[in-house]
Amino acid sequence: MSREARLRLAFCGLHPERARRLVGDLGSPGAVVAALAAGRVRVPEAVRATASLDAAVCRRRLAALEVGCLLRGDPGYPPHLSELPDAPDVLFVKGRLPAVPGVAIVGTRRCTRYGLGLARVYGQACAAAGWPVVSGLARGADAAAHHGVTDAGGVGIAVLGSGPDVVYPGEHRSLLAGLIAAGGALVTEYPPGTRPEPWRFPPRNRIIAGLAAAVVVVEAAETGGALITAAAALEQGRHVFAVPGDVGRETSRGCNLLIRDGATPVLDPADLVASLSLLLGPPACPGEAPAAPPDAAGRALLAAIPASGSTLEAAAAASGLGLGPALAAAARLEVVGLIRRVGGVVLPGR
Amino acid sequence: MFASVTSVALVGIDPCPVRVEVHVGGGKEAFHVVGLPDTAVREAKERVRAAVLSSGYRFPFRRLTVNLAPAEIPKAGSAYDLPIALGVLAAAGLVPPAVTGVVALGELALDGGVRPARGGLGAGIVAAGLGRPCLLPPGSAAEAAVVGEAQVRVVRTLAEAVAVALGEAVPEEPPAPPPAAAGPAVDLAWVRGQPLARRALEVAAAGGHHLLLVGPPGAGKTMLARCLPGILPSLTPAEALEVARAWAAAGRPRPPGDEPPFRSPHHTATTAAVVGGGSGVPVPGELTLAHRGVLFLDELGEFPPYLLDALRQPIEEGWVHVARKGVSVRFPCEVQVVAATNPCPCGYAGDRLVACTCSPAGVARYRRRFSGPLLDRFDLQVVVSRLDPAELAGPEGEPSGAVQARVAAARRRQDARAGLNRSLSRRDLDALSFTTAADALLRAAAGRLALTARGWDRVRRVARTLADLAGSATVEEGHLAEALTLRVAA
Repeated sequence: MSREARLRLAFCGLHPERARRLVGDLGSPGAVVAALAAGRVRVPEAVRATASLDAAVCRRRLAALEVGCLLRGDPGYPPHLSELPDAPDVLFVKGRLPAVPGVAIVGTRRCTRYGLGLARVYGQACAAAGWPVVSGLARGADAAAHHGVTDAGGVGIAVLGSGPDVVYPGEHRSLLAGLIAAGGALVTEYPPGTRPEPWRFPPRNRIIAGLAAAVVVVEAAETGGALITAAAALEQGRHVFAVPGDVGRETSRGCNLLIRDGATPVLDPADLVASLSLLLGPPACPGEAPAAPPDAAGRALLAAIPASGSTLEAAAAASGLGLGPALAAAARLEVVGLIRRVGGVVLPGR
Repeated sequence: MFASVTSVALVGIDPCPVRVEVHVGGGKEAFHVVGLPDTAVREAKERVRAAVLSSGYRFPFRRLTVNLAPAEIPKAGSAYDLPIALGVLAAAGLVPPAVTGVVALGELALDGGVRPARGGLGAGIVAAGLGRPCLLPPGSAAEAAVVGEAQVRVVRTLAEAVAVALGEAVPEEPPAPPPAAAGPAVDLAWVRGQPLARRALEVAAAGGHHLLLVGPPGAGKTMLARCLPGILPSLTPAEALEVARAWAAAGRPRPPGDEPPFRSPHHTATTAAVVGGGSGVPVPGELTLAHRGVLFLDELGEFPPYLLDALRQPIEEGWVHVARKGVSVRFPCEVQVVAATNPCPCGYAGDRLVACTCSPAGVARYRRRFSGPLLDRFDLQVVVSRLDPAELAGPEGEPSGAVQARVAAARRRQDARAGLNRSLSRRDLDALSFTTAADALLRAAAGRLALTARGWDRVRRVARTLADLAGSATVEEGHLAEALTLRVAA
């Protein structure tokens, strides 16, 4: 009975904080659902109608969307999330949710090349180390981190601020499908059909932090979702890492403030993996050898390309090769998949 | 009773002699102009009558017929006033018939003065061809003086024109053309840093390849494009005359000089202004003004799609056909296209410091605006980054002259083979010799980088140019690899 009531309450899609308060006030999820359906609590008409839905109807809708639901305390519910006082009571999941905590990689939607490149290589490095990578599927840093996971073929978890059937932003539909197909998962506490309203996202961020043992903030302005996630992580006792950026750069101010306040600065991906292995255990070593060992010029150029990427010119100058040989070396590396080019930027990895 | 004076009309940009035939006969007093004249030509009779009377001659108030032959070429403008007046005077027997042995052009003022008119260069070319003296008003004479063999005579009034034509007055010499500017208008030495863009510019110049510059605002894309004429081979005298003719046809005399022209139409320009057209006799557009030079399309994404479509075929063929009511002309437009674009609407996608504020869908929409068929014509693409302050204060780059010498050497190798690398067909490319390693890399790249058939050809063309710059008869693996890095990526 209580399971049914909890599912019905989750389907109402109230703000998690409010739902929790109502349950505290009225005693049980069943009482809350009854009060909602009877109109004794001020809620929009649509919520009232949903509250009177039968649990079987809810289950049928979930089955039709191929979305599973996990109640807090169920065997599949992640224990590390469950330990939070404000853990979601019901999780809607598509794909396979790993039982072990992962690494959250988050950042601003308005990312510079610096942040985008780093989010991707960090995502790649963590996924290659065998750790689940959690992020929010937003534009910018989140998507780059997810892409990194896809590059490495690892496990990625996307936590949405909308219903499991509402992919926002829409252009990441194929990215999400790729994550799920590769053994990752979509997670949300909001019922099917929930629109991505702005107030849905801050509560979502506590789930991102909760599913991870550590949060890496790649690039963040002074205000924004990434810092909310970092704050949630601190509250939950998760470790917070931040990527230092230029002091003058607007989109790095948040990260630099985090570092000032005690977050661990992250340097290159290897440094991140070394720090995380203290929290998450030794990384798995897939030991994938590069497709073809590069020649001397290729090695010099590869060594000159930082993880955050650089322009071709800068890499050519740093490699000590002439411009022509460096350009030729870049093509050879690109053809064997050791670097890739995004606009005018070259990044290591495929 | 009859006289004819030679003048000039333009067919496309080619000057063509026009016989201005005048017949004075009996009958009711009349003055007719026939032979496809436009309104300005038809109004000539009023100016001619007044100018003849003001110059102290009697006017034959009889039946006057003026025919501009060949009658099928449309004639426009006021340039036929002077030849018509000379013809009227000779046909009426008011001056000796020898007055008609000239090529003349000019608009008449009612007081008998001669004003400048369009077509001075054409008159010079026609006069040189016929071996006759060329009577021109002061403002048009300088243009004609560019033609070396032309005997240009400056005339200020109708009476002076008669005297000069008869050899009774010492003609004024045409003004000396202003000296050509020394050195390129914009020197590559002024561009600091940007090694990659400089390299791409050199390759583009050497092979005549169309070049796409991508970069944020203020990165120096326009400056780089303006440097291209300075490193292209100088125009030969014949080419320079051809360019001067194209400019004269558009009514803008070009200052002498052997630097290829550089034109940069704004994206709000009309199709007629860019490809040529206009009402009446078609006038060449920016595309033809850039003939044998550089057409620069700044902010490529802002150009309306129909305009880019209109450019595609002429750029491919080197000719643009413009058809207007009853007239169809062909203007030359062998141009090398340099286009510049921001990477996204706000311009900062991929910038090191400034975050891009565009939505990904917005960026995709922006790229779609200039992608497709026109983008397919570009062989080279290079990303131009904003400079660090350290680079701005850095040393000057290599001057245009040094680069031009290498470009010229590469062009000579192409001329000895099959012409400009830009126009190498797939068959020509298949016949080129590539080393085995280059071939293997190309095959690997085709799979890995998803090269299209056209992309495959473009990489080979650019690789051939790189080999020409290096003085190599065979395309080696290094040339092909560099060409791959300079390719147009989607």
